[in-house]
Amino acid sequence: MHLLQPDLHTRRAFLRRSGQLAMTGAALPLALNLAAMGEAAAFNAPGGDYKALVCVFLYGGNDYANTVVTYDNASYDQYSAIRGGGAGRTAGGIALAQSDLTATLLNPALAPVDGMGVSRQFALHPSMTDLASLFNAGKAGVQLNVGPLVGPLTRVQYNSTDRVNNPRPPQLFSHNDQQSIWQSSSGEGSKVGWGGHIGDLAIQNSLNTQSIFTCMSVTGNAVFLSGDTALQYQLSTSGAIKITPATSVNVFGSSAVRSAISNLIQQSSAHKLESAYNVITQRAMLAEASVTSALTAAPPTTVFPTDGLGPQLKMVARLIKGRAALGARRQVYLVSIGGFDLHDNLIRDHGGLLAKVSAGLKAFYDATVEMGVANQVTAFTASDFGRTLASNGDGSDHGWGSHQFVVGGAVKGQAFYGTPPPISVSDTKDSLGNYGPANQWHVGQGRLLPSTSVDQYAATLARWFGVADTELIDILPNSVRFGGAGYPLNLGFML
Amino acid sequence: MTEVEASVHVSDDAVAPETGSPKSAFLGVSVSALLAACGGGGGSDPSAASQTTPATTTSSAPQPRFKYVAAGTDNEAARFLLQAQFSATDADISAVRSAGFEAWLQKQLALPIGTTGWQWLDAKGYGDVLSPSNYYDTAVPADYMAWSQLMISSDVVRKRMALALSEFFVVSSYGLDIEWRSHAMAHYWDTLNTHAFGNYRDALEAITLNVAMGFYLNTRGNKKADSRGSQPDENYAREVMQLFSVGLVLLNLDGTPKLANGVTTDTYTSSDVSNLAQVFTGYDIDGTQRVETTIAQSGGGTRKVGNTAYTRLPMLQVGNNHSFLAANFLGASVPANATAKDALKIALDTLFNHPNTAPFFCKQMIQRLVTSNPTPAYVGRVAAVFVDNGKGVRGDLAAVWMAILLDDEARGPEGLTQPEFGKLREPMVRFVQWVRTFGGASATNAWRINDLSNAATSLGQSPLRSPSVFNFFRPGYVPAATTLSAGAVAPEFQLVNESSVGGYLNFMMSVIGSGLNSGDIRAAYTAELALVTDAQTLVQRLNTVLCAGQISAATQTLVVGALNATPVTTASTLAVKNNRVYAAVLMVMACSEYLIQK
Repeated sequence: MHLLQPDLHTRRAFLRRSGQLAMTGAALPLALNLAAMGEAAAFNAPGGDYKALVCVFLYGGNDYANTVVTYDNASYDQYSAIRGGGAGRTAGGIALAQSDLTATLLNPALAPVDGMGVSRQFALHPSMTDLASLFNAGKAGVQLNVGPLVGPLTRVQYNSTDRVNNPRPPQLFSHNDQQSIWQSSSGEGSKVGWGGHIGDLAIQNSLNTQSIFTCMSVTGNAVFLSGDTALQYQLSTSGAIKITPATSVNVFGSSAVRSAISNLIQQSSAHKLESAYNVITQRAMLAEASVTSALTAAPPTTVFPTDGLGPQLKMVARLIKGRAALGARRQVYLVSIGGFDLHDNLIRDHGGLLAKVSAGLKAFYDATVEMGVANQVTAFTASDFGRTLASNGDGSDHGWGSHQFVVGGAVKGQAFYGTPPPISVSDTKDSLGNYGPANQWHVGQGRLLPSTSVDQYAATLARWFGVADTELIDILPNSVRFGGAGYPLNLGFML
Repeated sequence: MTEVEASVHVSDDAVAPETGSPKSAFLGVSVSALLAACGGGGGSDPSAASQTTPATTTSSAPQPRFKYVAAGTDNEAARFLLQAQFSATDADISAVRSAGFEAWLQKQLALPIGTTGWQWLDAKGYGDVLSPSNYYDTAVPADYMAWSQLMISSDVVRKRMALALSEFFVVSSYGLDIEWRSHAMAHYWDTLNTHAFGNYRDALEAITLNVAMGFYLNTRGNKKADSRGSQPDENYAREVMQLFSVGLVLLNLDGTPKLANGVTTDTYTSSDVSNLAQVFTGYDIDGTQRVETTIAQSGGGTRKVGNTAYTRLPMLQVGNNHSFLAANFLGASVPANATAKDALKIALDTLFNHPNTAPFFCKQMIQRLVTSNPTPAYVGRVAAVFVDNGKGVRGDLAAVWMAILLDDEARGPEGLTQPEFGKLREPMVRFVQWVRTFGGASATNAWRINDLSNAATSLGQSPLRSPSVFNFFRPGYVPAATTLSAGAVAPEFQLVNESSVGGYLNFMMSVIGSGLNSGDIRAAYTAELALVTDAQTLVQRLNTVLCAGQISAATQTLVVGALNATPVTTASTLAVKNNRVYAAVLMVMACSEYLIQK
């Protein structure tokens, strides 16, 4: 069920699958009608060009406060006090030392200004030197305080029990639901994600000769890449898996056995689960040769880390290199790294994870430069949620809004997008029951109340990818709730 | 002549055995209904009435009415066995056909725990602190332990249920980097086994104070709020509600969500989580039995390594870290200055007695054992047994397993022709089935089976190796490419993608013929080799023992035809005979009619 218009996708999907699109009449939303009429090829894909979006999902809920760390003295001191820092701006509790942040200080063209008019400075976690360099070179941007929202929401509205007029995403703070909501605007059990929807449009506009290679995952199953027609195609970090018993010459000495197995594992069935299983095997069999062939080209010479995101992003780079063989012009990829649920050992463990993110993104960016597609490939991070600003002793707990990165040659880097949140864990209100400006942007313990929605973040990426404004409602039905003051649909981080 | 089962099951709750009338003790159904019901088993057994023995009483009177009480065919027996345990050997099938479902199950429920995981580790030397293998720093022995427990334990139904519990009260080797983590995982596993036929409330408390769980979800070392604003860690408080007891939304007894104007109601709020977190503060490991050994380090210097004892002692209050603030959650109140013990009791009693817990737990256990999409009525029947086992006891797990496996929906033939009934067999269950079905053995008795989680290059799943506390798959997972009706789920499909389908087949092809560990672990295929010259009979046998006859005639024809392309006679070489057996097993284990357990 989507946050808005729950029937829209089911109905559209049904129509597409039934091939009735051409026959549909005025009952459908305008955007769909335009697409049905092939109205001026609304999708923006000038002849022969290629674009790819790469979602880098950080599973577990990444601690924003120690990732994009507030650095200017006034705000750093507030951060340090809350997180148990030592005297003299030294490390302590779960606070990083200010002096450790100098090497990864971000140097934006324009300093970000928070809601109280204060100019702010940020640094990345000390382990993210590569990503800080990319930012300062203009190839990466930071989206501040982004998270799922049904509509613009203030803290007072969040506290309200009137959920009809002040709706919020369901199951905030629950890992699996928030992962699903980030990826698909719907909780666990969702079948369609916005990455898949973007893929649908690419397929609908015939941009890929083999639609199976539109949405590709090099990590485990996730809803992000499932569309109505686009389905996630998953492969391993060593490529597509060849099913030996179905493809070797003989199996246990018999070609008849091999032939039977090839038959058996792809046969259809009246049983829904049997059928669902074999459909996936069919796809595996169908795609393997093409993928393996596309991967025979020498990989980019850029060295990727051998752990963390490295192997996955290297495979994505190789697939992008082989895009001609795959017949692809518009692709959406998913990679991931887990371990961010740092309720404890935040200081001990966070740096290692962020080092992997930084090194992986840097290697991937360098590979796109090497392949001459740096301006055509955009990577962006996402995570279940941010975490509390408050400490639980040696870690932080589940939060909501977080800071994310966009990386690529087409990114208007060296810049912050969105509004820096105040550093606060306070719940005090004035005599009129209003939160002061310092307390408005969290919902307790410094869990950020997002000032930018995932819909806006996704819409900005989608538009760059080629999705027309009129098509946004197809892929992000809830985006109609945004676009007003303070919540622009185009966040501006793409050139 | 039907063998009458005379043993009496005594549950943890030590209820006195009843010696009432046979029928009321057994089923509460009339004799005539019983005789009529036997036809539903696909082969009437006129001696069914004699299955109503006076001794099969226990904690199960009055039980729900069961229509299908006996297996009229080998396939029916196998179907039952494959839901209750991992495999259906000839001996098992025979025993089930003789005893009837309930009596056979009662006998399994009465079996004591076999060798524990802890005992196994120590017997194999994995507790030796002086070993140069540094067993205290690796989870590899835990993998060996888990696989061998599943593959060779004689209390196999208990093992099946403990595995299901390990997918509910999840702790994973991937989340532990503590000294003696393999022993910690073994004790966690043993704890599940200890309580598998006991009471849910005891299981919940044991798991809450378990050291592995304490490290996994941060109860260990959790501290009250301090003056600088640090708050208690909320991890366990959240997950014990979301995953181990009440779930996210209010439920009816039949597992369906309670709806108000079509909208669900959250079971708990952030405030409940923060308040409950206070209860789980102040705990740490019990270090009173610590014995240190000084180990020289290769880079110079030494390290003091403790002993395994702490991993199996319940956590306790250490120091002055417990929060004595009042706490209010889920309508319950922990008064200020309550002892940690009293606070814990209030918290766990509240979770245990919450109306959600019965359906939330029972539905998932049905999903693990029988079908991904049980009818609400089925869930309701089982949940009712959780609520009251018939003797006024809530949380009787043995009664819950009985209710799940004996229910008409599990035993009846209707499911066999419904297009959405059943579930995908989990990869690790398929592999354990293979070992147990075909006489798998470890020649060295070492049973060194590693983490097989890699989906591309291996089986794609490993016991006690869930990627997160959310298990290998979510109860609500819906595969993208599916024609399942709205609201239907297929949790195990979260493991299925274009890599894992191939990884599984490649792995099975290799182990079926060559075994694992350079052949240390191989299958004997004794019964199969005895049938090798008759492909038809061979395939029929495999159909029964692997999937209770659920392979269609058309598929059997295909398989038999492929086998017969290479003639095999008694004069054929052993290699040729083996190849036919391997090919037959692989073909059956590859087809979706096997993979989907109905």
